[in-house]
Amino acid sequence: MKKILAIFQKETILRFTSPIEWLFFLILPLFFTFVLAGGTAGNMDTRTRLAVVDQANSTLSAQLIAGLEASGSIRPDVKTLAEAEDEFSKRNVSAVLVIPPDFTLEKLREGALALDLRQLPNNLNSLAAYQTVQTILGRLSSSVEIAQQSVQAAEDLRPFENDAERAAYFDAALDAAQTELSVAPQRVATAQALVEDPVEYDPRANSSAGQLITWVFIPLFGISVTFAYERATGTLRRLLTTPTRKATYLLGTLLAAVFWALVQMLLLVLFGIFVMKLNWGHSPAALAVILTASALAASAIGVAMGAFVKTEGQANGLSIMLGMVMALLGGCWYPLELFPAVVQQAVKVLPTRWAMQGMLDIVLRGQDLSAVLPEAAVLLGFAVVFYAIGIWRFRYE
Amino acid sequence: MPAILEVQQLVKKYGDKTAVNGISFDIQAGEIFSLLGPNGAGKTTTISVLSTLYVPTSGDAVIGGHSVVKEPMAVRNLIGVVPQDLALYEDLTARENLSFWGQMYNLSGKALNARVDQVLEQIGLKDRANQRVKTFSGGMKRRVNIGVGLLHQPRLLFMDEPTVGIDPQSRRAILDSVKDLNRQGMTVLYTTHYMEEAQELSDRVGIIDHGDLIALGTQGELTRQVGEYEALQLHISEMDDSEALAQALRGVEGVVRADVIDHNITLITPEAEKILAPVVSRANERGIRIHTVTIQEPNLEAVFLHLTGRALRD
Amino acid sequence: MKKILLLGWKDLTLAFRDKAALILMLLAPFALTLGLGLVTGGLSGGSSSSGLSDIPVVLVNQDAGQLGGELVNVFQSAELAELVAPQVSGDAAAARQLVDDDQTAAAVIIPAGFTAGIIPDAGTGQSGAAVQIELYMNPSRPTSSGIVQAIVDQFVNQVEIGRVGAQVTVSGLIVSGRIQPQQAAALGEQLGASQAQAADSSRITLTGVEADSPAVEFNVLAYMAPGMALMFLMFTVSNGGRTLLVEKAHGTLPRLLVAPLSPAQVLLGKMFGVFLTGTAQMLILIVASTLLFQLKWGNPMAVLALVLACVVGAVGWGMLITALVKTPGQAASIGSAVMLIFGILGGSFFDISILPAWFRAASRITPNAWGLDGFGRLAAGGGLMDILPDITGLLAMGVVLFGVSLFLFMRRGVIQR
Repeated sequence: MKKILAIFQKETILRFTSPIEWLFFLILPLFFTFVLAGGTAGNMDTRTRLAVVDQANSTLSAQLIAGLEASGSIRPDVKTLAEAEDEFSKRNVSAVLVIPPDFTLEKLREGALALDLRQLPNNLNSLAAYQTVQTILGRLSSSVEIAQQSVQAAEDLRPFENDAERAAYFDAALDAAQTELSVAPQRVATAQALVEDPVEYDPRANSSAGQLITWVFIPLFGISVTFAYERATGTLRRLLTTPTRKATYLLGTLLAAVFWALVQMLLLVLFGIFVMKLNWGHSPAALAVILTASALAASAIGVAMGAFVKTEGQANGLSIMLGMVMALLGGCWYPLELFPAVVQQAVKVLPTRWAMQGMLDIVLRGQDLSAVLPEAAVLLGFAVVFYAIGIWRFRYE
Repeated sequence: MPAILEVQQLVKKYGDKTAVNGISFDIQAGEIFSLLGPNGAGKTTTISVLSTLYVPTSGDAVIGGHSVVKEPMAVRNLIGVVPQDLALYEDLTARENLSFWGQMYNLSGKALNARVDQVLEQIGLKDRANQRVKTFSGGMKRRVNIGVGLLHQPRLLFMDEPTVGIDPQSRRAILDSVKDLNRQGMTVLYTTHYMEEAQELSDRVGIIDHGDLIALGTQGELTRQVGEYEALQLHISEMDDSEALAQALRGVEGVVRADVIDHNITLITPEAEKILAPVVSRANERGIRIHTVTIQEPNLEAVFLHLTGRALRD
Repeated sequence: MKKILLLGWKDLTLAFRDKAALILMLLAPFALTLGLGLVTGGLSGGSSSSGLSDIPVVLVNQDAGQLGGELVNVFQSAELAELVAPQVSGDAAAARQLVDDDQTAAAVIIPAGFTAGIIPDAGTGQSGAAVQIELYMNPSRPTSSGIVQAIVDQFVNQVEIGRVGAQVTVSGLIVSGRIQPQQAAALGEQLGASQAQAADSSRITLTGVEADSPAVEFNVLAYMAPGMALMFLMFTVSNGGRTLLVEKAHGTLPRLLVAPLSPAQVLLGKMFGVFLTGTAQMLILIVASTLLFQLKWGNPMAVLALVLACVVGAVGWGMLITALVKTPGQAASIGSAVMLIFGILGGSFFDISILPAWFRAASRITPNAWGLDGFGRLAAGGGLMDILPDITGLLAMGVVLFGVSLFLFMRRGVIQR
């Protein structure tokens, strides 16, 4: 035990000797979490910016812009045509909506209107903008539509005496329709997680959990770097001429890596709780289980890699690459739902996928220990398999 | 004095290649035993097997009554190892390195601190104890490297070519410290390919080549193998054909053999003075100028040459 | 000049012999491009550009009236067959559980009395209290559940317009004396249906116009591939800079400096080597992705010009990193960190156009941002003239950084004998 602690101490000193380690340990993960989460609430607007050129300046165009402003997904930014075109050509905005001069209620009453939305090709944001604008236009035109239908129905039963009477009838109906639509009751209720302690859905939880996994897995894969380094310097060889068992060495090295991974996770979780106001903390038991299981699985892969890599440089490169690819495919960077169905099934072979799933159970779904046990079990399974491979193929030179 | 180390028919093969080919020797407590041989002769492999890193293909070695094959842990407690390459954590200080390795040798607490201080004193790095090893010169690193092997006061110390690639001054210091250690009662197994080191340090020498132990004994015993022969060394100009001259000299009466290393020709002969004149005249006949001539008493170099026909430092 | 070329060539050869470096130079960008390609569905060739299809959704209809059934029909309609994969269940609790277990994207629970809350009873003419459809969404599938929500919202919107339309029309008719109040209920129901249908066809048509790209077909991977290539170009250049420190440590640098070469020649030769390596890496990635993923990078000459400019900018950063650190190990760590920071800052991972202006301004310090901008323009059919600002920016970056690094090198005596 004393030896394990000595190895632990040595690993810790070696790791934090370099100030650069702090960059990977804390600074980069926080930076990435922050940026990917779109910053903390309030500072940043995550709505898609839409350049709007209002050439009509009519009541109707004002209603349209107000409608866009009220939507949760679009931030209209009124510009002149030249400004908008300039921004668009620089790809600073993903879509431009041009409201033509004839966009007025009068014209709408007379007939159909047309609007152009210029979009960047193949861009999810401009697609979202398109859908939002479409919905708001539908709402705008629906009251006119209702008034028109109403006039039609009246005319079918008994014709109007003159145009003025028809116009008055239309205006009254339009007014009634607008009032009625604006006071219509809410008919859809959305909910996210069914727990006593209701969890506010927050997309930033995805980035908090995803970045945590990415940045903890990379240094844990880095155990392979330690092995490569100790092989290259001959210290591992020397160690095995002392009355110290391989198992003691492995345990001490792992203990250091896993311990610091847990500390790192805890710091990132605390950042999530206190700065980003995420609900990491409601079930400490579940959190402890999933964090430990993740760290063990990742460290096992590091040990297994350590048995196969030849040089420190190779180990370093592989750790970063595997860490990032696994994180990406495990859904840590983008939600898994965006992956084709086949891929969603295929990535079940990655520990990152299970770690992410387990953490989201906690931070997004507000579930407790029993819900994360399956994920934890899978992660521990990974740990067993890869420890076995790593120890079986362990080399000291 | 009982043997502290007994090597019995030790064989180590890597696949088809035989690195150590059934060697046997023993080391008595209190002596310095040198394993002398050129690079690739099997010295490091032998040390690796003795320090329980490799399992021998066949044969065994017994250290302090414990078999390296059956009781590696017991053996490790008795031995100290100074590997050929620096095996240190360069980002740790000298003290941190010693302290870490001390703990690996089961030292702890006050005993550990006391030993670390003693060793620091011994290797002359007390004043730089708290500086990182990577700031040290090559010689200082070597000293730390040796210090690690002394921490637990082993009964038998393995030193694998500890002077490779360092300046003469540090080399001198290391040789002196080996002698010091020995005087204090430490048994040392020293490997080297420098004849002078083996000659200076050892009580007994084993000469190893291609995995075979080709000679074993005290220096006197070994040089007697060469018989009453002396070595006459000629140094000739780089412009001249030394091989051709050697060929000619083999015909001189009294020359047992002639070997060429670069521009040095070594002649083995019963009586050097007698052949000196004919040798010089043969050289003159060919218009070859001899820069220097040295006559050497029989030494380990000559022994190796005699046994293998090659110089130690090929 | 010949010596500089020779030094450069030596470094190029060494770089491609280093297996560890090759992992990050060539393998990693490929793997990540492929990964990102999977995410965006660029490889599956799916019909929807978001790559989403067959979104699993559970429907629980407890409504006795017609509207609940209508909504279920909407989800089961042929038009949505590709987008959603609905499953009808009778148990609301079980449906929510499916969402909690991440088995499905959302549960739509239509409560009893939903229809009665909208359509007035034919007998009494009164409608019941408004009840709400429960949409239980899976938080880990924000996009999928968002689509389900959009479908439900649209349906409810339509129903609402139908209801309001019928109500407005009927009350208008009563007020103007065209019908008697007793007739209201029957007429209302009939009107509601036609109004709801009318709501479907908006009077305002919105046409989506994509930025004109006549020549080149745009592919999502064409965005990902340069992003990844540029990110790992940063690795290559910092690794190249690292070799300078390695040469210093191993003594080959001092040896070069005692050869008849000026320090500037040595540094230029080193930079040229990194430049060659970076260019080779970019070109290999471009050619390979063209062959493997059928990517269209645009006008070849313009692409080449942009690649060269990108590498110049990146080499500047590589030299600066080298000039700032002491050991090869530091260079490797800082290099990886810079690679990742520039990757995210420069938009290699996601579209930074949605981020605020300060972020986009900051991203301009990275070669990634300029390069991506240029590759985007070229892929969209632009020519050499369109990317002139990008090329200028990158070259200026390279020159400035070279100057700064040279100053630092001189001051620290790295390239002195």
